[in-house]
Amino acid sequence: MIFLYKNKYLSNIWRKRAVRLLILPAAVLLIYGILFIIMPDKTAMAIKSSGRVFLNLTIPLCLVFILILALNLFLKPAYIAKFLGKEAGIKGILFSVTAGIISAGPIYAWYPMLKALREKGADSSFIAIFLGNRAVKPFLLPIMILYFDWIYVLILTGFTILGSLAAGYCTTFVEKENRR
Amino acid sequence: MHLHSQEIVLRIAISSDKPDLKARVGSGLGTSKYLMVIDLRTMAVEAVANSGASGHGGGGIQAVVLAITKKVNAVLTGYCSPTAEKYLTANGIEILTGVKGTVAEALRHYKKGDLQKHIDVVRKSESGGPRIDRMSLFQALKTSFNQLITLLPVMAGIVLLIGLFNAFASKELLTYLFSGNDILDTLWGACFGSIFAGNPINSYIIGGELLEYGVGLYAVTALIIAWVTVGLVQLPAEISALGIRFALVRNAISFALSIAIAFATVGLLNFITG
Repeated sequence: MIFLYKNKYLSNIWRKRAVRLLILPAAVLLIYGILFIIMPDKTAMAIKSSGRVFLNLTIPLCLVFILILALNLFLKPAYIAKFLGKEAGIKGILFSVTAGIISAGPIYAWYPMLKALREKGADSSFIAIFLGNRAVKPFLLPIMILYFDWIYVLILTGFTILGSLAAGYCTTFVEKENRR
Repeated sequence: MHLHSQEIVLRIAISSDKPDLKARVGSGLGTSKYLMVIDLRTMAVEAVANSGASGHGGGGIQAVVLAITKKVNAVLTGYCSPTAEKYLTANGIEILTGVKGTVAEALRHYKKGDLQKHIDVVRKSESGGPRIDRMSLFQALKTSFNQLITLLPVMAGIVLLIGLFNAFASKELLTYLFSGNDILDTLWGACFGSIFAGNPINSYIIGGELLEYGVGLYAVTALIIAWVTVGLVQLPAEISALGIRFALVRNAISFALSIAIAFATVGLLNFITG
């Protein structure tokens, strides 16, 4: 009985998630359909243009899959929860940076864990650092390098990490000042 | 002290139904009322009650939490569920199942190093490095495939929108929005990135296409950074999880930083590449 309830509950979550994921492409396809009736030539041009972008993305997406697979094989989510907010000082910062970088999936999935950590007394700066480092995604590097120069990617990655540290420090500072 | 898996084991936990060394080892980790935590250096014994062992479920996970909190290196029990076993090994704790006899006997055998002769299963902790077997490879493939599949619908939508933009929008529209003034364009880029949120992959695709249209790298960089670090769409969720003050302050600071990072990145890039 519990098993059936669990399955129903999970399938509801997946249904909601699938609907959320498909809204944008479905809406765009609808626009394509309408435009195709009104301006078939220009819509065909749009399809051609999209096809070109898709084609460019094929090989980098294969690399992305290999990198995601490597991360899933060697890094377990349990480690993220274990490390984040566990240590103070430099160690805590390093853990938060690493956890932010290797965290995958939508941010909504991470809010309950961050909330729990905050309630357990994890420093605000660690949470802000974690959120800032979600912008650094090693497994998406093939796509980034496809569009931008690798030197740019390297510099941007470095500054994003530094920026997340600044965001962590400033958030804690402003929060403390406001409490006074 | 006992040498196990090339690691020095200092604390062990043995499941039991009574807080007594003479009691029998508990038949199941989740159903045993106590975890006898023993420090092998001092031989100090602490009986920790497992409040989840009442039979209403969750006893296994409660025992896992106790083992992690008490910083034990190994858990000895009669039976352990695969889920509890997964969490224990993922947290660097060795699990030995099929243990019989009294707690004192199990402890004695463990210290002598001959417990393996008396039990059926030993699961090593994963702290020594990840093991890749067929099952974990299959699981990782499944997870990776699911992650990629969830990326694709929105990405496809974005690419199709870019196609529409390429065919229908004029370059003048973009020139109207991004006038070529670095400061204003960067601000626009950060604003655009702050409204939308989601996977960074989409910001790379949009940014790359904007570059093709002649939009400056400052604006594109601010867009990429703000896309993930600032999120007006997800602000209500962040407020409800982390508090209004934290969410507002963090997003405001991240917005300002996206502009600063854009200038620092492009400035350094220009300096390096000349």
